[in-house]
Order: sequence, then C-alpha cells, then structure tokens
Amino acid sequence: MQPSNKTLGWMYQTMVTSRRFETVINKIYMEGKSPVFNMANGPIPGEMHLSDGQEPVAVGVCAHLTAEDIVTATHRPHHQAIAKGVDLNRMAAEIFGKATGLSGGRGGHMHIFDPAVNFACSGIIAQGMGPAAGAALSRKMQGKPGVAVAFIGEGAANQGAFHETMNMASVWKLPMICVIEDNAWGISVAKSKSTSVEKNHVRAASYGIPGHYIPGNDPWAIYDVAGEAIARARAGDGPTLIEVETFRLAGHFMGDAEGYRPKGEKEALFARDPIPAMRQRLEAEGRFTSSELDGMEAEAQARVDAAIRFARESADPKPEDALSAVFA
Amino acid sequence: MEMENERKLTIARAMAEAIAQEMRADPTVFVMGEDVAQLGGVFGNTRGLVTEFGPERVRDTPISETGFIGAAVGAAQDGMRPVVELMFVDFFGVCFDAIYNLMAKNTYFSGGNVKVPMVLMTSTGGGYSDAGQHSQCLYGTFAHLPGMKVVSPSNAHDAKGLMTAAIRDNAPVVFMFHKGLQGMGWLGTEAGANVHVPEDAYEVPIGKAAVVREGTDVTIVSIAMGVHHALKAAAQLEADGISAEVVDLRSLVPLDRETVRASVRKTGRLIVVDEDYHSYGVSGEIIATVCEMGDIQLKAPPRRIAYPDVPIPFARVMEQHCLPNADKVAAAARELC
Amino acid sequence: MAIDIIIPQDLYEGDDESVITAWLASDGATVREGALIAEIMTAKVQFEILAPAAGKLTILQPQDAVVAKGTVIGSIA
Repeated sequence: MQPSNKTLGWMYQTMVTSRRFETVINKIYMEGKSPVFNMANGPIPGEMHLSDGQEPVAVGVCAHLTAEDIVTATHRPHHQAIAKGVDLNRMAAEIFGKATGLSGGRGGHMHIFDPAVNFACSGIIAQGMGPAAGAALSRKMQGKPGVAVAFIGEGAANQGAFHETMNMASVWKLPMICVIEDNAWGISVAKSKSTSVEKNHVRAASYGIPGHYIPGNDPWAIYDVAGEAIARARAGDGPTLIEVETFRLAGHFMGDAEGYRPKGEKEALFARDPIPAMRQRLEAEGRFTSSELDGMEAEAQARVDAAIRFARESADPKPEDALSAVFA
Repeated sequence: MEMENERKLTIARAMAEAIAQEMRADPTVFVMGEDVAQLGGVFGNTRGLVTEFGPERVRDTPISETGFIGAAVGAAQDGMRPVVELMFVDFFGVCFDAIYNLMAKNTYFSGGNVKVPMVLMTSTGGGYSDAGQHSQCLYGTFAHLPGMKVVSPSNAHDAKGLMTAAIRDNAPVVFMFHKGLQGMGWLGTEAGANVHVPEDAYEVPIGKAAVVREGTDVTIVSIAMGVHHALKAAAQLEADGISAEVVDLRSLVPLDRETVRASVRKTGRLIVVDEDYHSYGVSGEIIATVCEMGDIQLKAPPRRIAYPDVPIPFARVMEQHCLPNADKVAAAARELC
Repeated sequence: MAIDIIIPQDLYEGDDESVITAWLASDGATVREGALIAEIMTAKVQFEILAPAAGKLTILQPQDAVVAKGTVIGSIA
C-alpha cells in the first residue's frame, strides 16, 4: 500500500508538527529546572517523556485512521496524539496543567484524553491494551465501524496484559491492532536483556494471528504494513501484531542521564533522524518542491506556537477544582 | 553536635547499605526488580550492589511484575531471601494477586509451615506533579490486608534499621519509601530525612513507633513524610505556646497502638496526618485505636489531615491544595488547643 | 592547617554549575579522610564529594547552594 501525495504531505507535516512540539515542550520543561534538575519546578512540572525520533510510527499508522477509530497510547504519547488529531491547543494546556486543558489540568502529560477523536493514554505499562480491545469489542457488538489501535513499547510485550489481550482479541476476532514501538530500551534495560525473542512479532504465532516486523523507522514501510493490518481488521478478519524498529532521540524521561546507553549510540541515531530523511526522499522523488516543504514546516511551527501561546496565556485551575469530576 | 565520624546518609544510601550488609552476611539474599542493576534503582536504593555482588544476585527483570513478584514468593518459599522492588506502589494493580493472595497468605494457608521471608520495597508519595498513577501512598490498601508487615521510615537511620530487620524477618515485609525523603537529586528532598547512620549493621524493631518530639498539649501521629510536616508544625506551635508531641509510627503492620494511646492519654488531643486517602485508611484506624476502648479522655474531637478522596491531579495548584502540610497541621492544632 | 573542600575541575565534563543536594555530615562534625561528605548534582547527574582529610568539618556553602567548579564549599581542620 503506497501513500498518495496528499497523504505523504500530511505525514510529513504531522511529523514536523510533532517534532516542533516536542522541541518547544522540552525547552519549556527545562525552565525552572536549572541549575539542579528538580522535577517539581517550572511551568511544566512532573515527568516528561518525549517522542523525538518515533514520529514515523505515529503517522504511518494514524494515516489510516479517522476520528471514529480508537487509539490508546502510553506515557510517551504526544506524537500519537498529534497524529490522531487531538486538539493541540487543549493538549498543550493540559500539559501545562491549565484550566483550559483537555482534563482541566487533572491529567497532565501522561493522561491525555480527547473523546472527540477517541484518544486516551495511560502511565501503567501495557494497560492500554485492554481498553483498546474493549473499544473494538464495543464496535463489533454494536455493528458500528471502527478499528482500535493499542500503541505500546517493546518492554510492554513482557507484561501480562499484553498476552491476555492479544489472546482474547484473537479468540473474539476483534477489529484491533497492537503496534509495538521498539526503541530498544526499557528505561535502562536493553531489549536483549529482558525479552526472550529478538523480535516481538514472532509472538503473534502464539495467538494465531499475523505478525510483522518493520525495520528502519521508515514511514513508507510503516504505512504499508499498518494499512494492510487495519484493512484486515475493518474486514472483520481479526487482530494483527506489528512491531516497528524505531528509536528515541531523548532519554526515557527528561532528566535521565542515559548512562546506560553505549558510547556513540546517540550520535549515530541523530544521523538517522527520520524527518530530514523523509524530506530528502520527498524532494528526490519530486513529490513536493523545496518551497512547498518549507511552507509545510512554517505552518507546523505556527500551529505549535499558537498552541503554546494558548497554554501559557490560559489560567491555572482553581485549587478546589481538584475535588470535582470524580464521578460523572 | 559533636560526633565521632558523623556520617549522614540519604534514605537511598541507607537502604542500599542495609541490603549490601545483609547480602555479605547471607548468600540467600538477592535483589530483583526493574533497573536495579546498572542503574542502581530509579530511586538510588540499589546503588553499588551489582558491582559488588554481580548480575545473578542483583538482577534486572523484564517489565513483568506478576511474573517476578510471584517468582519472589516462590524463591522465598524455597529457601532464598529475595528483596524485590515494585518501582512505584501505584503499579501494584498489575501484580496484586502475587502480593496479597500469595505472599501474604501462604504462611497462613500452610498453618505456619511455609515461610515467605521476602521484602517488597516500593516507592510512595507525590507532591511533584507526577499525577494520579505515580504519586500515591496507598498505606491503607497494604495495611488493611492481613499477612504482610508494612513499614515506612521517615529518616535514613530508621530506613537502614528497618530494612535490616525486614530482610532478617521470616515474614513478608512491605518496605515503603517516600520519594520526597529519598535523597534523589532530581526530586527535592526533605533535609530532615538525612541523618547520621551508624556504619555497623543494626535493626530498628518492626512494629514499634517512636516519639520523635515530646509535648504535652496535642499528639500528632504520622508516618514517613507526614512526620516532617508534624515536626515543622510543632516548631511553629511552640512559638504560640502550644506543646506538640509527635509520634512516628514507623510501622503500619504491626501497628504500635500502645505508644499512640499512651501519648493521647497524656495530651488529650489527637491529630493524624495521612498522605493517603482520607476514607477507610490509616487516619481512621488511629482514631479508632484511641477511642474504641473508651478509656482515654479527649479534650477535643480527634482530627485528621488527610488526602481527600479524589484521584491525585496533575496541576500543581490542585495537588498542593489537597496535600497535607505543616500549615494545615498547625492550624488544626490551634483550633483544638 | 585547614584543607579546602573544592568542587574538582575534573569531576564532570563541561562548565555547568551544580547544586549541593545534600551535606552528609553536620557543620562541626568530625569526619574521616575519604568519607562521603556531600552529594552534588549538575543538570542530570549526581556526584560524590569525599573528605580530603580527617578532621573537623566547617560548612561554607549550605545545602541547595549553587556552586561551580573550583568553589570552596567547606574546609577541614
């Protein structure tokens, strides 16, 4: 399955939007956290897990999804949220903990919920699997269209919820796919030290479903394989497991000194940054002119700037707002 | 203070030191958890261990809590003494069967014949905007269910002693360490938690509270971070002519009810500071402990300064509004006295 | 003869400032040579400061102070 020009334009611009967003969030996150990194300080306190480098996975999959499809994501959700069409202004405001945020400041960066586009994320490893299966089940029971995508990391493939959910989704032929972002590190532990198989897609055989491994962090390849899996799910043929080789250019969480990464690993990764790589290929194939791509990038930046401005200018919640929204 | 070779430790270092000393003395002690080996633990509590004892005895696990905590139960029943880490107490949801149905009950189910000598260490606490799945204390949840001892130190001296006692105890012990007391540079630390820690191995008895500040007008009971709020409130109150006694529970199970009762019998007033949720937890248990025998005269109704019954919000203004702090404790004391 | 406790030039790469995150001995305490007496932190990494000599510690920069390489944070006499 090959993306159209229009789709390629969306994919590129979305990757750029995501990267520009992460870049400015990174900068603002570090405000107030110098000279010592105390997580509680600054306009964006708490933890921060950025997705730089993993953008191809988000756009390659979400290019096939509409607002009515469901996505569950992890503690590293921004690229997937942006690709799914989450309201960027209100997402930024939520990350800043403002009253105008998607959850009025109650969730923060790890708990982004946008029901309008069926996007949610959660901080406990692999626990987005069950809800994705449940949404898929719900659509099937109601005879309504929709595919659910659960994004997890490669470390999560060793967690019970992954195995239970994949088995159940297969037995019930649910319209669901599981996409594993393999960035090779579970905090400080390498995949080779924690996982009994070299590539998780082989585990699909345990559940009687197709499994695919996509090397190279390549948006075209991801688009192709994800497209087939999503089509399979829409046709009622059941779930698919996809593992994508990607990489994170930042630490596990901001503040991570990354002493566990071998020397030179990060430098080598920066050389493989998927965004300039995609731009080069789009220009080489004559898909877009240099000035069209510049225009897309400028638009992306403007959109990010507007979202950050909205967030900064929004008011804090009232302290007693903490006590509301517990029950519907 | 004049002291020969004063050495203060952070709680992180004190925990690592206790584990190291017990590992040197007993080859059946080993450590398992996520990022405990080369990283030395996300919270620094296994620092240096893999260098001294190697990756067989200090072992990084996959992200498989049900698997490795269940495995710790099995290993403990088979003659080993595992020290296993649940990185954040909030993660208990994925593995609680291994904890409350196996670790805590197998001794009882076997009529006392099977022992489960393991330590489950886990981080608690928020106040730094880590939101609802990474900031909880859950004291009540663990203390409520029978079969596991539960401890939580307020300072490095108690941390080392309680860890040593926990490893040597033949019963399973849940060792809860509060993130705000731990001594991690990337999270602020309560300076009062860093205290002198003797070099030799020693135990702090499990099940024994400590009166950490004597007073006559009101008893303030707490554990871990709450103890520091209580001490700061007590310092404020002294300026107002109110003498506050502070009791550091140190253990939730067994609960040292007698120390609490003796203190309130003396002062006649009780405030419980509880960072865990208000209802169905530690604060209610302490109040019941003081009231239910009807033999302690109270000069004022008991008060609890506890976290409200809401998930922990991310935004700083909301989280700080909910958390106990010294000012809230002092205000309550002034109302009572 | 008092010996200064200095943030060493070769403790970490670069010229970032650091913060004293913990003093692990009190002002006026007697410490042994080589004892761990302070923890400092640059933006992301924690480092240990050891006592350069045995003796009585005088703290010159308190906990939470921002310091640079070469700063004298205390002395031992």
